[in-house]
Amino acid sequence: MTMVIIAGEIDLSVGSAVAFAGCLTGYLIEAGWPAWSAVIAALAFGAATGAFTGVMRAKFNVPSFITSLALLTGLSGAAFKLTGGYPLTDFPEGFAFLGSGVVLRMPLGDGELTLMFPVVVLACVFVATFLLMNYTTFGRSVYAVGGNAEAARLCGISVGGVRIAVLAITGALAALAGVLLASRMSSGSPEVGRGWELDIIAAVIVGGTSLSGGAGRVWGTLVGVIFIGVIVNGMRLLDVQEDGQRIARGVIILLAVVLSKVQQD
Amino acid sequence: MPDGRLETEGLRKDYPGTVALDGVSVAFEAGKVSALIGKNGAGKSTLVKILAGAVRPTSGSVRLNGRTLQLRSPREALAQGIAAVHQELSLIPDLTVGENILLGRLPKRGHLNLFVAPASRRWVHGRDARATTNDTDGHRRDARATGLIIDWKGAFDRAAAILSELGLSLDVRAKVSRLSIAQQQIVEIAKAMSYAPRVLMLDEPTSALAANEVDRLFELIRSLARRGVILVYISHRLHELSRIADSVTALRDGRVSGTMPIGEATPKAIVQLMFGDDVAAGRPGAAPSGRATVLEVRGLSYRDILKDISLALMEGEILGIAGMLGSGRTELLMSIFGAMRASGGEILVDGRVVRRPTPGRMKRLGLGLAPESRKTQGIVPLMSIRDNGCLAGLAKIAKHGVIWKARQRRVVEGNVRELQIRTPGIERAITSLSGGNQQKVVIGNWLNTRPRVMMFDEPTRGIDVQAKGQIFDIIRGLSRQGIACLFVSSELEELLEVCHRVIILRDGRIAETHSTEGLSLQRLFEGCMGA
Repeated sequence: MTMVIIAGEIDLSVGSAVAFAGCLTGYLIEAGWPAWSAVIAALAFGAATGAFTGVMRAKFNVPSFITSLALLTGLSGAAFKLTGGYPLTDFPEGFAFLGSGVVLRMPLGDGELTLMFPVVVLACVFVATFLLMNYTTFGRSVYAVGGNAEAARLCGISVGGVRIAVLAITGALAALAGVLLASRMSSGSPEVGRGWELDIIAAVIVGGTSLSGGAGRVWGTLVGVIFIGVIVNGMRLLDVQEDGQRIARGVIILLAVVLSKVQQD
Repeated sequence: MPDGRLETEGLRKDYPGTVALDGVSVAFEAGKVSALIGKNGAGKSTLVKILAGAVRPTSGSVRLNGRTLQLRSPREALAQGIAAVHQELSLIPDLTVGENILLGRLPKRGHLNLFVAPASRRWVHGRDARATTNDTDGHRRDARATGLIIDWKGAFDRAAAILSELGLSLDVRAKVSRLSIAQQQIVEIAKAMSYAPRVLMLDEPTSALAANEVDRLFELIRSLARRGVILVYISHRLHELSRIADSVTALRDGRVSGTMPIGEATPKAIVQLMFGDDVAAGRPGAAPSGRATVLEVRGLSYRDILKDISLALMEGEILGIAGMLGSGRTELLMSIFGAMRASGGEILVDGRVVRRPTPGRMKRLGLGLAPESRKTQGIVPLMSIRDNGCLAGLAKIAKHGVIWKARQRRVVEGNVRELQIRTPGIERAITSLSGGNQQKVVIGNWLNTRPRVMMFDEPTRGIDVQAKGQIFDIIRGLSRQGIACLFVSSELEELLEVCHRVIILRDGRIAETHSTEGLSLQRLFEGCMGA
């Protein structure tokens, strides 16, 4: 999502994409597909929906806000259709590893520290995105397109191509999250991921990325994710109710952005 | 006919580094159309902006009918009776003609408050709209703010009345976006006239008009003059002046270089006023001969802006493109570069036709373009100098898509040295640089792609004299390395100073081609004017 926003686009469909990817995986596995191919199909479908948003933007000049808003409801509906409204739970044994597999155990004091597979995935995705954005021609093109699309075009950068690619990557990553979540809960539920797109966008913005495109850091988003995560978790531990949590989150997002603006001036 | 006189005395405007106006004293008389001419940067637009209240002079005064005016904002200027129609139209396309004419002053009705006596049309025309009414409690309230609901019927009646007063008929309920440019121009004038100004300034009003539309506009201007309005008319089109103006005032380097009645204003006399004695700028000498042709354009057309353009460019040759604003110079470069899709003709690089040119493809074939608008087309403002310096050349710097920062740094630092870009470091934001240095980064960005044809669209716009000289040196240096250059500039002297050959675009066609050897500025200027 950081990438998409830096490129000056937005993807509102990620929440539904998470739910749909989990359901699609469950559906395909129930239909008798091997787990690995179901996962790959879900990722490919995620990439394809993202790319679709990109193509609409690049070829027909439909704002990604609109297409992804349509996908937000469309994919959610599709997930319900696929599952008939009930979570799919018929997963093979090995599949649980994706969501809750332990990669490494380290003794630490009287307990032990375990490294779970999703954490590894998270770390890999962040490092890969960081390298992609900072050390490849593609990454720099993303910044250029977000910062000044006309200048990028006149520099011979394929503006449409960049837009399609960032949206496809984000779609695939949302699907990946969906698969991991389905594995962790050992169910593909159409209910998950609702409203996530706003939390995700909030984390990106709190991490210092400009909503108007062209500026932002991948590490900033990691900080934003941890920041929001820590606060939500802390409030849960303090027994703050869901409604109170939401209010606090809203206030924090606004404060974080105001602070960064004040700092800039 | 009411007599009136708009005078300026010793107007001076300093900008950091330059003096835009250097003691301008002029007088414009009521009932006459006074033309204001001068080449770019002579100070015409600064003068108009001062009179319109958009810019405040460093010193000097403005008097209308002997009274000194304080012009601190466009609003104040309007209140004093000075209105301007600028070159770029400022209408809101999705609103109706009537709304645009009365924008911000729509009549209202439906009074809710207790202080103002209800009056169904408490709405006064023009300057008086700002008049205040005394209510029963002695509070003074703005007449415009008294209503709640817009009085649409009143508004359209009012707008129609303004138009018919001017002898115009336009549907006041039509959306502006559906009007022709000429009609929109008329709406702009009606909008200005709705303030009942005593002075109306028109900045290049005909630049987007067809011949018959120009006739209509001139008729309108004439009728306004007959009513005693002081008209100031700015134009680059000398042949128009004899039809519309009563006198011609020329500005040169921020000073008035002369005023003459239209009868004496022959093209020769006007050019003399605008340019003074032809400064014999150094000419670059003869074009290199016997070299291979790198770029060829055959029968290129773009919409109705460019028609049947053919040209050939040799290695190391610098070809200048002259022409007035709107003659299609930018469109020519952009269509050669594939950034605008030509509607006909073909482009050949090394004798081979390029199918479906795009900027990416042309870049790979060795073309580069430093675009006209540095801010919106040339740079990515949020990026550093290093990043901006290798936008186009990313592929050349990277290996398999991976960028090595050290290499990137080396390349851009090389640009900084070679092009004498003045900066404390390449990690600085590009926006921290002066315009001239930004332009050099844009040029360096393209040089990193190792181009064989480099196109420059107004590379010296808004940059200081020293940077201009450096950019000329860069272009000459490229030519010596065998790189062919296309150079567009509104500054005709620049073309003579830098180019081997100049083509003149007029009405979308190549009207003339000259070698710059022995070509005088007057001749070139007359060519652009079609005089």
